[in-house]
Amino acid sequence: MTDTPILELRHVSKSYGSVRALTDVSFQAFAGQIIGLVGDNGAGKSSMIKTISGVYTPDEGEILVDGTPRHWKSPHDAIEAGIETLYQDSGLAPDLTIGSNIFLGRELRRRNVLGRLGFLDQRSMETQAMEELEKVGISIGAAKRTVSELSGGQRQAVAIGRAAMWAKHVIILDEPTNHLGARQSIEVLKVMKAARDRGLCVLFISHTLPHVLEVTDRIIVLRLGRIVRDAPTSEFTVESLLGTITGLNQ
Amino acid sequence: MSSSEDLSASPPNLVTPVTEVPRWRALLTNQLTVLVFILIALMLFLGNHNSRFFTSSEMSFLLADFSGLVLVAVAETFVIISGGIDLSVGSVMAVAGVLAARAMQPLINSHTNEAVVLLLGTGVALLVGMVAGAINATLIVGFNVVPFVATLAMWYGGQGLALVWTGGQPYGLNPGAQTWSAATIPGLPFLSWLSLIVIGITVVLGLVLRKARYGRYTFAIGSNNFAARAAGIGVKKYVGSFYVLSGALAGLTGMFFDIRLGSGAPTTGQTTTLIAIAAVVIGGTSLFGGSGTFLGTVLGAAILIVVQDGAIFVNVSANWVPVVVASVVAVASIIQSGRLRLRRRS
Repeated sequence: MTDTPILELRHVSKSYGSVRALTDVSFQAFAGQIIGLVGDNGAGKSSMIKTISGVYTPDEGEILVDGTPRHWKSPHDAIEAGIETLYQDSGLAPDLTIGSNIFLGRELRRRNVLGRLGFLDQRSMETQAMEELEKVGISIGAAKRTVSELSGGQRQAVAIGRAAMWAKHVIILDEPTNHLGARQSIEVLKVMKAARDRGLCVLFISHTLPHVLEVTDRIIVLRLGRIVRDAPTSEFTVESLLGTITGLNQ
Repeated sequence: MSSSEDLSASPPNLVTPVTEVPRWRALLTNQLTVLVFILIALMLFLGNHNSRFFTSSEMSFLLADFSGLVLVAVAETFVIISGGIDLSVGSVMAVAGVLAARAMQPLINSHTNEAVVLLLGTGVALLVGMVAGAINATLIVGFNVVPFVATLAMWYGGQGLALVWTGGQPYGLNPGAQTWSAATIPGLPFLSWLSLIVIGITVVLGLVLRKARYGRYTFAIGSNNFAARAAGIGVKKYVGSFYVLSGALAGLTGMFFDIRLGSGAPTTGQTTTLIAIAAVVIGGTSLFGGSGTFLGTVLGAAILIVVQDGAIFVNVSANWVPVVVASVVAVASIIQSGRLRLRRRS
């Protein structure tokens, strides 16, 4: 089982007009791993995760999930393939309740005729949201509040919880510790470790290098749309990682 | 809860509890409470001024006018909550009403069963409205035209077409249609069958907005379009459907006026777009999308109709009525923004 990568990119390229965002990106990711994805602004991190999560389609190359080539046309396809993504700052609908956000796109319907007509079972969604979030290590108090009533850290907790709760294979976290205090960041790292221990593959995108070094098993460094280094975390220090990101260590 | 407890707590508590809003403040700042209060105060004021206000003939008149507004206002609520706007509803009403009348006229002259004629007219009006809505949807979703511009074009073009297809004169129908529209439910002399149908459709739409997945996605798309897309929702499909729904309800309202006036007039709906949007805004729906309520819109529409129809009871001359309505819109908007501020402070 462990021989087949849960997620693999083969020679993926992506351009927007004349701007080349990703050039010939290939890597393999395995279940039960946390992989750090680092790089300077504009290095292609966002393009890469949006390609993996189905927001963009690659111009060239292939994405394989559990050994099977997948060609998705929308985020819906990636979600169905078991890949959950936490987008930086924009993954939640602030006017909806916590419970509604957790179940966004996979609402529970009532178990009667009304349910067949599209009517929702809000109560079950709210109870289940609480229970499932606790299972992945996040306690939210009450799922009835709207997200706009929460602080930045609280919103992030909900977003991470949603990704961790639904992911079947891969969970992508784009800057999950942004806007968080030191203590909340530690909690986020704990949630990531718990997800790895449950057998998920975690892709962790961050500028906070000490966090990356602390929690990851492997680090991929992107520069100008290419992978310039892909090595076990033990081979890096903050200094050497910084050097690789900026290109001073060549 | 002390911070040291937080650290050792398992599972980790990333979300700290918020203090509950005091109940009196929650009630006072609840938009529906405010709107109900305004509506009751207005009606009591008018009734106090003129005893004829609370008669069932006046009430049936109010309900009929309300029925001619509420469907488009609710449609507009869906569109605005989703982050868009539909300025074309008034013209779509006129075009649908005119074409429906044109389809019904020859049948009336050939003495076809009245119910059949009306059903056919309703079908034509619904279809015309949906086609107009589909054109809006194509411009907005297919060609990325801003909803404001796309529906403004439809509004203007629709007005022109309504005139072209009628030569400026209303299409007369059998006065039977009008008699039918006045028929009331036994025991409830202020409620016509026609209004009851409209209210029924309205209630269903309200339930869909609040309780069904379609409504949930309406809010999600308006609240954060990217989040909705990332959650796997077919955003384009839904956005397009809001304009088709809006067109369909405008079409039905066009047919409503055909029946009520006994003719399909090109001037129908001239002020409806603005009044419908005003009703939505008074009802507390944000023009930025993402938040709003169905009941707010219904109450907003009721308030505007009571002001518009009631002005005559306090001797406001007809020409001044739009000014009075506009003032009510302004005052209600001020109250809404004050309510939001009071709520935010808590």
